Amino acid sequence: MADQFKPEIAVFHCINTFADSAVLPIAENEHFSVKSYKLPCSSMVKDVYLLRAFEAGADAVLVFVCPEGQCRYVEGNIRAAKRVQFVKRLLDEIGIDARRLALFNIAAGDAAAVVEIIHQNLPELVKLGPNPAA
Amino acid sequence: MIVGEQKSIAEIREMIAPYKKLLILGCGTCVKTCFAGGEDEVATLASALRLSLKKDGKEIAVEEFTVERQCEDAFIQEAAPHISPNSAVLSLACGAGVQAIARRFVKVPVLPGVNTTFIGVLEKQGLFTEECSGCGDCKLAPFGGICPVTRCSKKLLNGPCGGSRNGKCEVSPDIDCAWQLIIERLKILGQLDHLRDYMPPKNWKTSHAGGPRKLVREDHII
Repeated sequence: MADQFKPEIAVFHCINTFADSAVLPIAENEHFSVKSYKLPCSSMVKDVYLLRAFEAGADAVLVFVCPEGQCRYVEGNIRAAKRVQFVKRLLDEIGIDARRLALFNIAAGDAAAVVEIIHQNLPELVKLGPNPAA
Repeated sequence: MIVGEQKSIAEIREMIAPYKKLLILGCGTCVKTCFAGGEDEVATLASALRLSLKKDGKEIAVEEFTVERQCEDAFIQEAAPHISPNSAVLSLACGAGVQAIARRFVKVPVLPGVNTTFIGVLEKQGLFTEECSGCGDCKLAPFGGICPVTRCSKKLLNGPCGGSRNGKCEVSPDIDCAWQLIIERLKILGQLDHLRDYMPPKNWKTSHAGGPRKLVREDHII
C-alpha cells in the first residue's frame, strides 16, 4: 500500500453543503490528498474551473452539491450537474477519462459523507492512475 | 442572431497543429449567446486544448481574448495587440467574423473554431431554432409572421403539403409543420383569407443564389 499511487483530488463544494472546507478531516491522508474550493452556490462551478483543476494537476475532481430540491437557489445543483456532464464529455474527447470527474448530492453539513464518498471512489481513482495531462 | 456550434477538439487540433503560439479570439455578441464563442467558451476551449496537447506530450502557448463583435472593424482593432505576437488566430466568431479578422490581419492565418449554422432565435434557455434564411425578400406578412421559406421543409408558399401528422412535419417529428403554425396564427389574427392569396414562384435572385450580396447605404458613406 505504501507505494500505491496517491491521487490528488480537487473538491468543489457549495457553502450550503458545508460552509468551510476546514470541517473536512481529509486535508492530508496517506492514500490521497485534497484541495478544496468553496463556492457560494454549486451553480458557480463553471466548465473552465473544472478543467483548470485538471490543468493544476488534479487526478480527479469531485463536486459536492445539495440534494435535488434542496438548493437554496432552487436549481443551482441541477445546473452544476449539467455542467459536470458537459465537462465529462469534454474529458472523454480530450482523452483524459470522464471517470475522473463526478458530482455527488450530499445533505447539508454532512462532511462525513464526503469522506465516505472519497473512500468509496478511491480504488477506481487509483486504478485510473495519474492525470495524463498533469 | 447568428447561431453557431463549436468544432470538436479533434478538428481544432488538426487545424492548429502547425502553430506554436495561438490566440483564441472570442466574439461577445451572437456566438456568446449560443454558448459557442464568448469569453467563457474561449476560456474553456483554451483549457481543453492545453490539456489535450499536454496529454500527448505537446505544448503550445495559448492566449485568450474576446472582442465585442468580430464583424466590425471598430471592435476588431482592440484585438490587434493580441494578434501580432501569435502565429495563428483561432476565431470563435461566425463565418463573417472569421473573414473580417482575416481581411484585417492579412499576414496571420485565421482558423474557424465554430461551425456557423443558422439565423435563429433563443426559443428557451439552451434551445435555438432556425427562423430566417436571409432570402433578401421578406414575405412574412401574409404568413402570420411565420416563414415558410425557412420553417417549411419543402419551402411551400401556397399551403401545406398534406404530409404533416399531429402538427409535425413528415420529414422529421422534431420539426413543427410551418403551415400548421401559419394557419393557427392566421386564425388568431382573423386573417385566414390570406390562404386565398396566390404566391408566385419565389425569385431567388435576392437570396445567396444570386451570388454574394452587398448592402450599400449611401447616406452613411462619407
